[in-house]
Amino acid sequence: MVSDPERELAGMARRTVLIVGGGDPADSIAAGLDPTAWDVRRLDDDAQPWTDRTVTDALPDLTELDLVVHARYPAAARHRASLMDLTIDDWNEQADAPLEAAIRLARGAHPLLAEASGTIVFLVPLMASAGGEGFAAMATAAEGIRIFAKSLAKTWGDDGIRAHAITLDPSAFLDDANAAGMAEANSLHDPPLGRVPDLAREVAPIVAALTTDDFTALIGASLVVDGGLWMPG
Amino acid sequence: MSTPPTPPLPTLTGLLEGRVAIVTGAGQGVGEGIAAAMAQAGASVIIAARRAETGEPAAERIRAAGGSASFVRCDVTARADVDAAVAFSIEQFGRLDVMVHNAVSPPGPPRAIQEVDDETIALQIATSTTAAFHCAQAAFPHLQADYGSLILLTSPAGIEGSGNLPLYGAVKGAQRGLLKSLAREWGPSGVRVNAIAPVAWTPAMDVATAANPTLEARLRGRTPLQRIGDPEADIGPVAVFLASPLSRHMTGQTLAVDGGRYLGL
Repeated sequence: MVSDPERELAGMARRTVLIVGGGDPADSIAAGLDPTAWDVRRLDDDAQPWTDRTVTDALPDLTELDLVVHARYPAAARHRASLMDLTIDDWNEQADAPLEAAIRLARGAHPLLAEASGTIVFLVPLMASAGGEGFAAMATAAEGIRIFAKSLAKTWGDDGIRAHAITLDPSAFLDDANAAGMAEANSLHDPPLGRVPDLAREVAPIVAALTTDDFTALIGASLVVDGGLWMPG
Repeated sequence: MSTPPTPPLPTLTGLLEGRVAIVTGAGQGVGEGIAAAMAQAGASVIIAARRAETGEPAAERIRAAGGSASFVRCDVTARADVDAAVAFSIEQFGRLDVMVHNAVSPPGPPRAIQEVDDETIALQIATSTTAAFHCAQAAFPHLQADYGSLILLTSPAGIEGSGNLPLYGAVKGAQRGLLKSLAREWGPSGVRVNAIAPVAWTPAMDVATAANPTLEARLRGRTPLQRIGDPEADIGPVAVFLASPLSRHMTGQTLAVDGGRYLGL
Protein backbone atom coordinates (compact mmCIF):
# COMPACT_ATOMS: atom_id res chain seq x y z
CA MET A 1 0.00 0.00 0.00
CA VAL A 2 1.24 3.51 -0.77
CA SER A 3 0.78 4.61 2.83
CA ASP A 4 2.82 1.78 4.26
CA PRO A 5 5.29 3.60 6.56
CA GLU A 6 8.14 1.27 5.74
CA ARG A 7 7.77 1.90 2.04
CA GLU A 8 7.55 5.64 2.55
CA LEU A 9 10.69 5.62 4.69
CA ALA A 10 12.38 3.58 2.01
CA GLY A 11 11.68 6.26 -0.55
CA MET A 12 8.65 4.66 -2.13
CA ALA A 13 10.20 1.43 -3.35
CA ARG A 14 8.54 0.08 -6.41
CA ARG A 15 5.61 -2.14 -5.73
CA THR A 16 5.31 -5.56 -7.31
CA VAL A 17 2.59 -6.52 -9.74
CA LEU A 18 2.11 -9.92 -11.33
CA ILE A 19 0.26 -9.83 -14.63
CA VAL A 20 -1.05 -13.19 -15.75
CA GLY A 21 -1.92 -13.89 -19.36
CA GLY A 22 -0.49 -13.27 -22.81
CA GLY A 23 -1.55 -10.81 -25.50
CA ASP A 24 -4.09 -8.12 -24.76
CA PRO A 25 -5.38 -6.90 -22.43
CA ALA A 26 -2.48 -8.21 -20.32
CA ASP A 27 0.21 -6.69 -22.56
CA SER A 28 -1.36 -3.25 -22.64
CA ILE A 29 -2.01 -3.17 -18.92
CA ALA A 30 1.62 -4.07 -18.33
CA ALA A 31 2.71 -1.30 -20.68
CA GLY A 32 0.40 1.19 -19.03
CA LEU A 33 1.67 0.82 -15.48
CA ASP A 34 4.24 3.41 -14.44
CA PRO A 35 7.61 1.60 -14.43
CA THR A 36 8.94 3.92 -11.74
CA ALA A 37 6.14 2.82 -9.44
CA TRP A 38 5.72 -0.81 -10.43
CA ASP A 39 8.00 -3.79 -10.77
CA VAL A 40 6.05 -5.63 -13.43
CA ARG A 41 6.35 -9.40 -13.44
CA ARG A 42 4.68 -11.51 -16.10
CA LEU A 43 3.38 -15.03 -16.41
CA ASP A 44 2.02 -15.43 -19.90
CA ASP A 45 2.24 -19.11 -20.72
CA ASP A 46 -1.31 -19.85 -21.78
CA ALA A 47 -0.58 -23.42 -22.75
CA GLN A 48 0.59 -24.96 -19.50
CA PRO A 49 -1.86 -26.33 -16.96
CA TRP A 50 -1.78 -24.33 -13.76
CA THR A 51 -1.22 -25.63 -10.29
CA ASP A 52 -1.24 -23.95 -6.92
CA ARG A 53 2.56 -23.68 -7.25
CA THR A 54 2.81 -22.20 -10.72
CA VAL A 55 3.48 -18.70 -9.43
CA THR A 56 6.05 -19.63 -6.81
CA ASP A 57 7.78 -22.15 -9.09
CA ALA A 58 8.08 -19.64 -11.92
CA LEU A 59 8.98 -16.67 -9.76
CA PRO A 60 10.68 -18.08 -6.66
CA ASP A 61 12.14 -14.71 -5.67
CA LEU A 62 8.71 -13.23 -4.95
CA THR A 63 8.08 -12.64 -1.28
CA GLU A 64 4.99 -10.50 -1.61
CA LEU A 65 2.62 -9.13 -4.21
CA ASP A 66 0.93 -5.76 -4.10
CA LEU A 67 -1.18 -6.49 -7.14
CA VAL A 68 -2.17 -9.44 -9.27
CA VAL A 69 -3.89 -8.81 -12.60
CA HIS A 70 -5.49 -11.83 -14.19
CA ALA A 71 -6.24 -11.76 -17.93
CA ARG A 72 -5.47 -15.30 -18.94
CA TYR A 73 -7.72 -16.73 -21.62
CA PRO A 74 -6.32 -19.25 -24.09
CA ALA A 75 -5.94 -18.23 -27.69
CA ALA A 76 -8.32 -20.95 -28.80
CA ALA A 77 -11.13 -19.42 -26.72
CA ARG A 78 -10.75 -16.10 -28.50
CA HIS A 79 -12.10 -17.40 -31.78
CA ARG A 80 -15.77 -17.60 -32.62
CA ALA A 81 -17.13 -21.16 -32.67
CA SER A 82 -20.55 -22.64 -32.20
CA LEU A 83 -20.96 -24.73 -29.08
CA MET A 84 -22.03 -27.61 -31.30
CA ASP A 85 -18.65 -27.49 -33.05
CA LEU A 86 -16.62 -27.80 -29.86
CA THR A 87 -15.15 -31.14 -28.80
CA ILE A 88 -14.87 -32.04 -25.15
CA ASP A 89 -11.14 -31.31 -25.42
CA ASP A 90 -11.97 -27.86 -26.81
CA TRP A 91 -14.34 -27.26 -23.92
CA ASN A 92 -11.81 -28.32 -21.34
CA GLU A 93 -9.13 -26.13 -22.90
CA GLN A 94 -11.35 -23.07 -23.36
CA ALA A 95 -13.72 -23.19 -20.37
CA ASP A 96 -12.85 -25.58 -17.57
CA ALA A 97 -9.07 -25.23 -17.58
CA PRO A 98 -9.03 -21.39 -17.61
CA LEU A 99 -11.55 -21.32 -14.76
CA GLU A 100 -9.51 -23.76 -12.73
CA ALA A 101 -6.31 -21.86 -13.55
CA ALA A 102 -7.78 -18.65 -12.12
CA ILE A 103 -8.74 -20.54 -8.98
CA ARG A 104 -5.26 -22.05 -8.75
CA LEU A 105 -3.70 -18.63 -9.30
CA ALA A 106 -5.68 -17.22 -6.40
CA ARG A 107 -4.75 -20.11 -4.12
CA GLY A 108 -1.08 -19.80 -4.98
CA ALA A 109 -0.98 -16.03 -4.74
CA HIS A 110 -2.88 -15.81 -1.46
CA PRO A 111 0.10 -15.81 0.92
CA LEU A 112 2.00 -13.33 -1.28
CA LEU A 113 -0.98 -11.00 -1.43
CA ALA A 114 -1.62 -11.32 2.29
CA GLU A 115 1.99 -10.36 2.98
CA ALA A 116 1.50 -7.03 1.21
CA SER A 117 -2.23 -6.47 1.90
CA GLY A 118 -2.48 -6.62 -1.86
CA THR A 119 -5.19 -6.47 -4.47
CA ILE A 120 -6.22 -8.99 -7.11
CA VAL A 121 -8.04 -7.78 -10.21
CA PHE A 122 -9.63 -10.06 -12.78
CA LEU A 123 -10.12 -8.64 -16.27
CA VAL A 124 -13.10 -10.20 -18.02
CA PRO A 125 -14.69 -9.70 -21.43
CA LEU A 126 -18.22 -8.37 -21.74
CA MET A 127 -19.32 -11.83 -22.87
CA ALA A 128 -19.02 -12.97 -19.25
CA SER A 129 -22.03 -11.07 -18.01
CA ALA A 130 -23.81 -10.42 -21.31
CA GLY A 131 -23.16 -13.63 -23.21
CA GLY A 132 -21.47 -13.93 -26.56
CA GLU A 133 -22.67 -15.79 -29.63
CA GLY A 134 -19.89 -18.14 -30.60
CA PHE A 135 -18.00 -17.55 -27.36
CA ALA A 136 -19.84 -19.83 -24.94
CA ALA A 137 -16.67 -21.43 -23.62
CA MET A 138 -14.88 -18.14 -23.00
CA ALA A 139 -18.00 -16.64 -21.43
CA THR A 140 -18.38 -19.65 -19.14
CA ALA A 141 -14.85 -19.30 -17.81
CA ALA A 142 -15.02 -15.53 -17.61
CA GLU A 143 -18.32 -15.30 -15.74
CA GLY A 144 -17.13 -17.93 -13.30
CA ILE A 145 -14.00 -15.83 -12.77
CA ARG A 146 -16.01 -12.60 -12.38
CA ILE A 147 -18.15 -14.13 -9.66
CA PHE A 148 -15.09 -15.76 -8.11
CA ALA A 149 -13.68 -12.27 -7.55
CA LYS A 150 -16.70 -11.43 -5.40
CA SER A 151 -16.25 -14.61 -3.39
CA LEU A 152 -12.58 -13.82 -2.82
CA ALA A 153 -13.46 -10.31 -1.70
CA LYS A 154 -15.79 -11.74 0.93
CA THR A 155 -13.34 -14.37 2.10
CA TRP A 156 -10.07 -12.49 2.01
CA GLY A 157 -11.11 -9.19 3.55
CA ASP A 158 -9.90 -10.42 6.91
CA ASP A 159 -6.48 -10.99 5.35
CA GLY A 160 -6.34 -7.41 4.09
CA ILE A 161 -6.69 -8.51 0.48
CA ARG A 162 -9.07 -6.80 -1.89
CA ALA A 163 -10.52 -8.46 -4.99
CA HIS A 164 -12.30 -6.92 -7.96
CA ALA A 165 -13.33 -7.66 -11.52
CA ILE A 166 -13.24 -5.26 -14.43
CA THR A 167 -15.39 -5.92 -17.47
CA LEU A 168 -13.87 -4.72 -20.73
CA ASP A 169 -15.16 -4.39 -24.26
CA PRO A 170 -14.73 -7.66 -26.19
CA SER A 171 -12.21 -5.96 -28.48
CA ALA A 172 -9.79 -5.92 -25.55
CA PHE A 173 -9.55 -9.70 -25.86
CA LEU A 174 -10.41 -10.44 -29.50
CA ASP A 175 -8.91 -9.52 -32.82
CA ASP A 176 -10.93 -7.32 -35.17
CA ALA A 177 -12.48 -10.20 -37.08
CA ASN A 178 -13.69 -11.98 -33.97
CA ALA A 179 -14.81 -8.81 -32.22
CA ALA A 180 -16.85 -7.70 -35.21
CA GLY A 181 -20.48 -7.30 -34.31
CA MET A 182 -20.00 -7.83 -30.59
CA ALA A 183 -20.60 -4.18 -29.71
CA GLU A 184 -23.71 -4.03 -31.86
CA ALA A 185 -25.00 -7.19 -30.21
CA ASN A 186 -24.91 -5.50 -26.83
CA SER A 187 -25.84 -1.90 -27.44
CA LEU A 188 -28.02 0.21 -29.66
CA HIS A 189 -25.86 3.27 -29.12
CA ASP A 190 -22.25 4.15 -29.76
CA PRO A 191 -20.05 4.40 -26.69
CA PRO A 192 -20.65 7.82 -25.08
CA LEU A 193 -16.89 8.11 -24.77
CA GLY A 194 -16.79 8.07 -28.54
CA ARG A 195 -14.58 4.99 -28.66
CA VAL A 196 -13.63 2.03 -26.54
CA PRO A 197 -11.11 2.88 -23.82
CA ASP A 198 -7.39 2.69 -24.49
CA LEU A 199 -6.16 -0.16 -22.33
CA ALA A 200 -2.72 1.23 -21.47
CA ARG A 201 -3.70 4.87 -21.09
CA GLU A 202 -7.18 4.58 -19.58
CA VAL A 203 -7.64 1.14 -18.02
CA ALA A 204 -4.21 0.54 -16.47
CA PRO A 205 -4.53 3.66 -14.26
CA ILE A 206 -7.86 2.39 -12.96
CA VAL A 207 -6.28 -0.95 -12.09
CA ALA A 208 -3.45 0.84 -10.29
CA ALA A 209 -5.85 3.15 -8.50
CA LEU A 210 -7.74 0.20 -7.04
CA THR A 211 -4.64 -0.62 -4.98
CA THR A 212 -4.46 2.76 -3.29
CA ASP A 213 -5.86 3.88 0.04
CA ASP A 214 -8.37 6.04 -1.79
CA PHE A 215 -10.22 2.87 -2.71
CA THR A 216 -10.00 1.00 0.57
CA ALA A 217 -13.77 0.86 0.95
CA LEU A 218 -14.34 -0.54 -2.51
CA ILE A 219 -14.66 -4.28 -1.98
CA GLY A 220 -15.63 -6.95 -4.46
CA ALA A 221 -16.46 -4.42 -7.16
CA SER A 222 -17.50 -5.52 -10.60
CA LEU A 223 -16.62 -2.48 -12.67
CA VAL A 224 -17.49 -1.99 -16.33
CA VAL A 225 -14.85 0.04 -18.17
CA ASP A 226 -16.06 0.13 -21.75
CA GLY A 227 -16.64 3.78 -22.53
CA GLY A 228 -20.31 3.48 -21.66
CA LEU A 229 -21.19 1.02 -24.38
CA TRP A 230 -23.01 -1.21 -21.94
CA MET A 231 -24.58 0.11 -18.75
CA PRO A 232 -25.86 -2.78 -16.65
CA GLY A 233 -28.51 -2.16 -14.04
CA MET B 1 -41.58 -17.41 13.73
CA SER B 2 -44.99 -18.35 12.36
CA THR B 3 -45.40 -19.31 8.72
CA PRO B 4 -46.97 -16.50 6.71
CA PRO B 5 -50.05 -17.19 4.59
CA THR B 6 -49.29 -18.80 1.25
CA PRO B 7 -51.81 -18.90 -1.60
CA PRO B 8 -52.91 -22.29 -2.95
CA LEU B 9 -51.10 -23.50 -6.03
CA PRO B 10 -53.19 -23.57 -9.23
CA THR B 11 -53.15 -26.71 -11.30
CA LEU B 12 -50.31 -27.16 -13.76
CA THR B 13 -52.22 -29.76 -15.76
CA GLY B 14 -51.79 -29.52 -19.49
CA LEU B 15 -49.01 -26.94 -19.58
CA LEU B 16 -46.48 -29.52 -20.77
CA GLU B 17 -48.84 -32.06 -22.32
CA GLY B 18 -47.04 -34.19 -24.90
CA ARG B 19 -43.62 -32.82 -23.96
CA VAL B 20 -40.65 -34.88 -22.79
CA ALA B 21 -38.16 -33.64 -20.21
CA ILE B 22 -34.87 -34.92 -18.83
CA VAL B 23 -34.05 -33.69 -15.33
CA THR B 24 -30.55 -34.44 -14.07
CA GLY B 25 -29.98 -35.01 -10.38
CA ALA B 26 -33.69 -35.66 -9.97
CA GLY B 27 -33.42 -38.39 -7.36
CA GLN B 28 -34.04 -35.90 -4.59
CA GLY B 29 -34.31 -32.26 -3.64
CA VAL B 30 -34.93 -29.53 -6.20
CA GLY B 31 -34.43 -31.91 -9.13
CA GLU B 32 -37.11 -34.28 -7.88
CA GLY B 33 -39.42 -31.34 -7.22
CA ILE B 34 -38.98 -30.06 -10.75
CA ALA B 35 -39.53 -33.52 -12.21
CA ALA B 36 -42.71 -33.98 -10.17
CA ALA B 37 -44.06 -30.58 -11.19
CA MET B 38 -43.30 -31.22 -14.86
CA ALA B 39 -45.02 -34.60 -14.66
CA GLN B 40 -48.03 -32.95 -13.05
CA ALA B 41 -48.03 -30.52 -15.99
CA GLY B 42 -48.31 -33.47 -18.36
CA ALA B 43 -44.72 -34.07 -19.39
CA SER B 44 -43.11 -37.46 -19.63
CA VAL B 45 -40.18 -37.09 -17.29
CA ILE B 46 -36.85 -38.88 -17.35
CA ILE B 47 -35.16 -38.97 -13.97
CA ALA B 48 -31.47 -38.89 -14.86
CA ALA B 49 -29.69 -39.64 -11.61
CA ARG B 50 -26.39 -41.18 -10.63
CA ARG B 51 -27.82 -43.42 -7.93
CA ALA B 52 -30.63 -45.91 -8.56
CA GLU B 53 -31.46 -45.95 -4.85
CA THR B 54 -32.74 -42.38 -5.15
CA GLY B 55 -33.67 -42.24 -8.83
CA GLU B 56 -35.93 -45.29 -8.92
CA PRO B 57 -38.03 -44.27 -5.88
CA ALA B 58 -38.34 -40.73 -7.23
CA ALA B 59 -39.71 -42.06 -10.50
CA GLU B 60 -42.05 -44.40 -8.60
CA ARG B 61 -43.40 -41.53 -6.49
CA ILE B 62 -44.25 -39.60 -9.65
CA ARG B 63 -45.93 -42.61 -11.24
CA ALA B 64 -47.88 -43.24 -8.04
CA ALA B 65 -49.20 -39.69 -8.30
CA GLY B 66 -50.40 -40.39 -11.83
CA GLY B 67 -47.49 -38.97 -13.76
CA SER B 68 -45.17 -40.44 -16.36
CA ALA B 69 -41.62 -40.97 -15.14
CA SER B 70 -38.68 -43.21 -16.01
CA PHE B 71 -35.35 -43.60 -14.29
CA VAL B 72 -32.11 -43.63 -16.27
CA ARG B 73 -28.81 -44.02 -14.48
CA CYS B 74 -26.70 -41.04 -15.43
CA ASP B 75 -23.43 -39.63 -14.19
CA VAL B 76 -23.57 -36.20 -15.82
CA THR B 77 -19.80 -35.93 -15.88
CA ALA B 78 -19.68 -38.86 -18.32
CA ARG B 79 -20.69 -37.87 -21.84
CA ALA B 80 -21.71 -41.43 -22.67
CA ASP B 81 -24.22 -41.40 -19.80
CA VAL B 82 -25.74 -38.09 -20.94
CA ASP B 83 -25.92 -39.34 -24.53
CA ALA B 84 -27.62 -42.51 -23.28
CA ALA B 85 -30.24 -40.51 -21.40
CA VAL B 86 -31.00 -38.50 -24.52
CA ALA B 87 -31.08 -41.67 -26.62
CA PHE B 88 -33.55 -43.19 -24.15
CA SER B 89 -35.80 -40.18 -24.60
CA ILE B 90 -35.75 -40.49 -28.37
CA GLU B 91 -36.23 -44.25 -28.35
CA GLN B 92 -39.08 -44.21 -25.85
CA PHE B 93 -40.90 -41.03 -26.79
CA GLY B 94 -39.51 -39.95 -30.14
CA ARG B 95 -38.58 -36.52 -28.89
CA LEU B 96 -36.85 -34.41 -26.26
CA ASP B 97 -38.28 -30.98 -25.48
CA VAL B 98 -36.70 -29.96 -22.20
CA MET B 99 -33.28 -30.55 -20.70
CA VAL B 100 -32.93 -29.50 -17.06
CA HIS B 101 -29.40 -29.65 -15.70
CA ASN B 102 -29.80 -29.66 -11.96
CA ALA B 103 -27.23 -32.18 -10.75
CA VAL B 104 -24.58 -30.82 -8.42
CA SER B 105 -21.64 -32.18 -6.54
CA PRO B 106 -21.63 -31.55 -2.79
CA PRO B 107 -19.72 -28.30 -2.27
CA GLY B 108 -18.26 -29.48 1.03
CA PRO B 109 -18.07 -27.52 4.25
CA PRO B 110 -17.68 -23.73 4.31
CA ARG B 111 -14.03 -22.76 3.84
CA ALA B 112 -11.74 -20.35 2.05
CA ILE B 113 -10.66 -21.23 -1.49
CA GLN B 114 -7.08 -21.97 -0.47
CA GLU B 115 -8.39 -24.68 1.86
CA VAL B 116 -10.53 -26.54 -0.67
CA ASP B 117 -9.16 -29.96 -1.60
CA ASP B 118 -8.24 -30.87 -5.17
CA GLU B 119 -10.95 -33.52 -5.50
CA THR B 120 -13.68 -31.02 -4.66
CA ILE B 121 -12.33 -28.57 -7.23
CA ALA B 122 -12.34 -31.23 -9.92
CA LEU B 123 -15.83 -32.50 -9.04
CA GLN B 124 -17.39 -29.07 -8.80
CA ILE B 125 -16.11 -28.05 -12.23
CA ALA B 126 -16.98 -31.40 -13.78
CA THR B 127 -20.53 -31.45 -12.43
CA SER B 128 -21.44 -27.84 -13.05
CA THR B 129 -19.60 -26.71 -16.18
CA THR B 130 -18.40 -29.82 -18.02
CA ALA B 131 -21.75 -31.50 -17.42
CA ALA B 132 -23.62 -28.40 -18.56
CA PHE B 133 -21.66 -28.62 -21.81
CA HIS B 134 -22.57 -32.31 -22.15
CA CYS B 135 -26.25 -31.70 -21.47
CA ALA B 136 -26.48 -28.71 -23.79
CA GLN B 137 -24.65 -30.29 -26.69
CA ALA B 138 -26.40 -33.66 -26.42
CA ALA B 139 -29.86 -32.12 -26.19
CA PHE B 140 -29.71 -29.30 -28.73
CA PRO B 141 -30.31 -31.31 -31.93
CA HIS B 142 -33.60 -32.50 -30.43
CA LEU B 143 -34.57 -29.29 -28.66
CA GLN B 144 -34.53 -27.38 -31.92
CA ALA B 145 -37.12 -29.68 -33.46
CA ASP B 146 -40.04 -28.11 -31.59
CA TYR B 147 -39.18 -24.97 -29.61
CA GLY B 148 -37.38 -26.80 -26.84
CA SER B 149 -35.84 -25.38 -23.73
CA LEU B 150 -32.62 -25.77 -21.75
CA ILE B 151 -32.88 -24.90 -18.06
CA LEU B 152 -29.86 -24.68 -15.78
CA LEU B 153 -30.13 -24.72 -12.00
CA THR B 154 -27.70 -22.12 -10.76
CA SER B 155 -27.61 -20.39 -7.39
CA PRO B 156 -27.71 -16.95 -5.83
CA ALA B 157 -24.05 -17.72 -5.07
CA GLY B 158 -23.49 -17.68 -8.82
CA ILE B 159 -24.64 -14.07 -8.92
CA GLU B 160 -23.27 -12.49 -5.77
CA GLY B 161 -20.43 -14.89 -4.99
CA SER B 162 -20.07 -16.76 -1.74
CA GLY B 163 -17.66 -16.19 1.09
CA ASN B 164 -18.37 -19.63 2.53
CA LEU B 165 -18.40 -21.54 -0.74
CA PRO B 166 -16.22 -19.58 -3.16
CA LEU B 167 -15.74 -22.50 -5.52
CA TYR B 168 -19.48 -23.16 -5.68
CA GLY B 169 -20.09 -19.50 -6.50
CA ALA B 170 -17.54 -19.66 -9.31
CA VAL B 171 -18.96 -22.73 -11.03
CA LYS B 172 -22.55 -21.51 -10.64
CA GLY B 173 -21.53 -18.15 -12.07
CA ALA B 174 -19.85 -19.96 -14.94
CA GLN B 175 -23.16 -21.61 -15.79
CA ARG B 176 -24.69 -18.16 -16.23
CA GLY B 177 -22.01 -17.19 -18.72
CA LEU B 178 -22.87 -20.32 -20.66
CA LEU B 179 -26.62 -19.79 -20.58
CA LYS B 180 -26.43 -16.21 -21.81
CA SER B 181 -24.14 -17.18 -24.66
CA LEU B 182 -26.35 -20.08 -25.66
CA ALA B 183 -29.42 -17.87 -25.47
CA ARG B 184 -27.79 -15.68 -28.13
CA GLU B 185 -26.52 -18.62 -30.14
CA TRP B 186 -29.68 -20.72 -30.10
CA GLY B 187 -32.28 -17.97 -30.17
CA PRO B 188 -32.61 -18.02 -33.98
CA SER B 189 -33.47 -21.73 -33.82
CA GLY B 190 -36.26 -21.11 -31.32
CA VAL B 191 -34.50 -22.87 -28.45
CA ARG B 192 -34.63 -20.91 -25.21
CA VAL B 193 -32.07 -21.09 -22.42
CA ASN B 194 -32.85 -19.90 -18.90
CA ALA B 195 -31.81 -20.54 -15.33
CA ILE B 196 -33.31 -20.75 -11.87
CA ALA B 197 -31.46 -19.66 -8.75
CA PRO B 198 -33.45 -21.29 -5.95
CA VAL B 199 -33.43 -21.19 -2.20
CA ALA B 200 -35.34 -24.28 -1.15
CA TRP B 201 -35.43 -27.28 1.12
CA THR B 202 -32.94 -29.79 -0.20
CA PRO B 203 -31.00 -32.62 1.44
CA ALA B 204 -28.09 -30.16 1.70
CA MET B 205 -30.34 -27.61 3.42
CA ASP B 206 -31.57 -30.33 5.79
CA VAL B 207 -27.98 -31.11 6.76
CA ALA B 208 -27.09 -27.44 7.16
CA THR B 209 -30.07 -26.63 9.37
CA ALA B 210 -29.57 -29.76 11.43
CA ALA B 211 -25.97 -28.76 12.04
CA ASN B 212 -26.88 -25.17 12.81
CA PRO B 213 -30.18 -24.94 14.71
CA THR B 214 -30.46 -21.17 14.31
CA LEU B 215 -29.92 -21.21 10.53
CA GLU B 216 -33.53 -21.71 9.50
CA ALA B 217 -34.83 -18.89 11.67
CA ARG B 218 -32.07 -16.55 10.48
CA LEU B 219 -32.70 -17.44 6.85
CA ARG B 220 -36.43 -16.96 7.19
CA GLY B 221 -35.84 -13.68 8.99
CA ARG B 222 -33.90 -12.39 6.01
CA THR B 223 -36.49 -13.59 3.50
CA PRO B 224 -39.46 -11.29 2.82
CA LEU B 225 -41.82 -14.23 2.28
CA GLN B 226 -40.46 -15.71 5.53
CA ARG B 227 -40.16 -19.30 4.43
CA ILE B 228 -37.78 -21.55 2.56
CA GLY B 229 -39.06 -22.81 -0.76
CA ASP B 230 -40.55 -26.23 -1.33
CA PRO B 231 -38.86 -27.98 -4.27
CA GLU B 232 -42.07 -29.21 -5.91
CA ALA B 233 -44.57 -26.51 -4.96
CA ASP B 234 -42.32 -23.44 -5.22
CA ILE B 235 -39.44 -24.24 -7.56
CA GLY B 236 -41.16 -26.80 -9.80
CA PRO B 237 -43.85 -24.47 -11.18
CA VAL B 238 -41.23 -21.93 -12.21
CA ALA B 239 -39.40 -24.64 -14.12
CA VAL B 240 -42.71 -25.60 -15.76
CA PHE B 241 -43.20 -21.96 -16.69
CA LEU B 242 -39.73 -21.76 -18.25
CA ALA B 243 -40.31 -25.01 -20.16
CA SER B 244 -43.73 -23.99 -21.44
CA PRO B 245 -44.80 -21.50 -24.11
CA LEU B 246 -45.94 -19.19 -21.30
CA SER B 247 -42.35 -17.97 -21.26
CA ARG B 248 -41.87 -18.08 -25.02
CA HIS B 249 -40.43 -14.55 -25.12
CA MET B 250 -37.89 -15.18 -22.34
CA THR B 251 -34.37 -16.38 -22.90
CA GLY B 252 -31.00 -15.81 -21.26
CA GLN B 253 -32.62 -15.03 -17.91
CA THR B 254 -31.93 -16.19 -14.38
CA LEU B 255 -34.98 -16.24 -12.12
CA ALA B 256 -34.19 -16.05 -8.41
CA VAL B 257 -36.88 -18.21 -6.77
CA ASP B 258 -35.96 -17.45 -3.22
CA GLY B 259 -38.86 -15.79 -1.42
CA GLY B 260 -37.14 -12.46 -1.99
CA ARG B 261 -34.00 -13.46 -0.07
CA TYR B 262 -31.67 -11.93 -2.64
CA LEU B 263 -33.56 -8.83 -3.68
CA GLY B 264 -30.36 -6.90 -4.19
CA LEU B 265 -29.02 -9.08 -6.98
